[in-house]
Amino acid sequence: MKRIAVVATIGLSATQVAAETVVTQWDQFSQAGITAAGPAMDELIQTCAPALGGAEILRTVAPSIGIRDSYRLAVAAGKTPDLAYTWPAASVLSGYARTGALAPLDEYYAEYGWEHVNDFYRGRNSYDGSLYGVPMEQDLMGVYYNEALFEEHGIAVPTTYDEFVAAANAFKEAGVVPIAFGNRDRWPATNTFSLILGLTAGKQVEEDVFFRDTPWTNEAFLQAATVFQDWAEDGWFPRGFNGVGYDEANALFLSGRAAMTITGTWVIQDMIRGSDNIALGVFMLPPIADGVAPGTMWGEGSQWQLSASADEATREAAAAYLDCLVSDESQRVWVQKGYTVPIGTTPEELAEWGAHPVVHSFFEQGLATPESNFYDLHTTLPESVTQVLYPELQRLAGGDTTPEEFLQAMQSAWEAAVANGDRWIP
Amino acid sequence: MHSPRTAYWFLAPALILYLAFVAVPIAQVVGYSFFSWDSGQLDQFVGFANFARLGTDSVFWAALWHNAVWVVLTLAFPLLAGLLLSAILAERRPNTVRALAAIYFIPRTIPLVVAGIIWGWIYNPIFGLLNYGLDILGLGQFAHAWLAEESTALFSLNVVGAWTFFGFCVVIYLAAIQSIDPSLYEAADIDGAGWGAKFRDITVPLLRNSTLFLGLYAAIEAMRFFDLIWVTTQGGPGYATEVLTTHVYKTFFLVGDFGYAAVLSVVLLVIVLSLASLSFWLLRSR
Repeated sequence: MKRIAVVATIGLSATQVAAETVVTQWDQFSQAGITAAGPAMDELIQTCAPALGGAEILRTVAPSIGIRDSYRLAVAAGKTPDLAYTWPAASVLSGYARTGALAPLDEYYAEYGWEHVNDFYRGRNSYDGSLYGVPMEQDLMGVYYNEALFEEHGIAVPTTYDEFVAAANAFKEAGVVPIAFGNRDRWPATNTFSLILGLTAGKQVEEDVFFRDTPWTNEAFLQAATVFQDWAEDGWFPRGFNGVGYDEANALFLSGRAAMTITGTWVIQDMIRGSDNIALGVFMLPPIADGVAPGTMWGEGSQWQLSASADEATREAAAAYLDCLVSDESQRVWVQKGYTVPIGTTPEELAEWGAHPVVHSFFEQGLATPESNFYDLHTTLPESVTQVLYPELQRLAGGDTTPEEFLQAMQSAWEAAVANGDRWIP
Repeated sequence: MHSPRTAYWFLAPALILYLAFVAVPIAQVVGYSFFSWDSGQLDQFVGFANFARLGTDSVFWAALWHNAVWVVLTLAFPLLAGLLLSAILAERRPNTVRALAAIYFIPRTIPLVVAGIIWGWIYNPIFGLLNYGLDILGLGQFAHAWLAEESTALFSLNVVGAWTFFGFCVVIYLAAIQSIDPSLYEAADIDGAGWGAKFRDITVPLLRNSTLFLGLYAAIEAMRFFDLIWVTTQGGPGYATEVLTTHVYKTFFLVGDFGYAAVLSVVLLVIVLSLASLSFWLLRSR
């Protein structure tokens, strides 16, 4: 990766780094699809060039879903890119930190501030007391809905779970698919279940399981698994949802044949672009269990991380450039050119910068509950557990396993991962 | 006369390439299987501990079973269909034989990734052609989410595999039938044998080597295939279409457990090499 040797004098600041320094950058900002923030990235590379102090960026764009696999191979081959924007944080990031593949970023956090990264996100990007990632995108889960269909069937936007159940059943009775859900790609169910889990068990119980010794087979998790299976068995999803792709499910919703789809802000740009034929709205799924606070699943999408094998001059240049990418000025570019909302952006700023009303509405609602927002499973659990979660959720939704068996399978995978030292604790 | 040493010089380039691109990578994978890995990085020597995990890995056994089912189904349908079709086709006019053989062979030329996409659309539970056709025929009650139900997914995928393979069987069998001495059939005609008797007593026995070749080829392919599963179901729903290659892929690329992925690869390699050796031995012994 490193094509050109660094000749910078030790101790020089980033702005004095010699021109021969090349920072290899891997990111996932393409021009369409998930994380289609390519235009913003293109512009910011130009804008932030001065921060590099003469160093150059050698950029590689990798698909957002596959970049984590490509990154792992690069690490295994000793070719870790100097600067990478990849996912997920938490368990996977800490695995790289534990094995010394990543550079600690504490000194850069101290130098540049980066106060917009709150404690929740700092925790997800930490290992053993040190920070190893700079999260940027703010990912939230919510319910996209077709306002015209709701109006046509005389259904109000649900504010309680009972109202949500009534709405879904009313659409089903009317022959409209209540929730466009496709799980052929295996991961979408993880997001849906993460949302149900957080609104059934709550953040505290989740943390008791993830960070302490409460087993997966607890009552609250059992209720969440039962709710998810009920949604499928009650016919709220399209026929054969385990054979329907994520994009196909979104297309089903955007074509006006489904009333709702439950997914995240990572696809908001595609939703807006494709919503010519429907009136697009967003609401947050209400709490499911009694006593659970309103909230939603949130995460950082991906995070910037620096290779431990990069020399000091390269790291200094990359950190200065990174500071520019996450600066207040750059936030506006990410929003306006990348349809991406960086962490720390307020709903007021979104309104001021002319963000689409759906973007504004989504973030206004999702950011209103920072204390009770909860975890996304497949960016929090160790990979070995995630690879059990994917098929087991297919089986749970498909009625091929019971909620109890599902949780037992998860507990077994969890115990193996914990024994292997793979658990992430912030 | 050249000395034997000269022959080795001529063999050396191919041998070096073989060692570099076949033997060394295989040895490397075998070596990896004796180590634990952490986040894609070599950790420590663990002896046969990774191999011991095979016994309790239910996904491995499910995948092995699915591979075995695939082998049996492949032997049962495409080979049989290919044999019958080629026997019927062989009696037609040469132009007809050439045209139909080419048509039957077309699916074989389609990459499995493309075949998977095409059949993914056919099987799609929302807009799929198969369910649509069943609805039109008044057989809507037989519609399924073909690739999304554990009870139908593996069989439905095998149909795709058969679709891509039977044309190859037709071509191989056809070539073999055309090499059978016509006088055998003429003698059978004189004896009053019907089509069925000639097929049973002449065609099938004389196609034994072709059947053996196709059977073993199909078995080896059935252990190696990956792309069709990955583009359609990724091994799901649940583990219903998990095969050894998808299990290797997930363990290596998604979990990052390189040591155990190497063990699975070694097992797969042993199975495929065993089948290849059997194939080689049987074909050589006849």
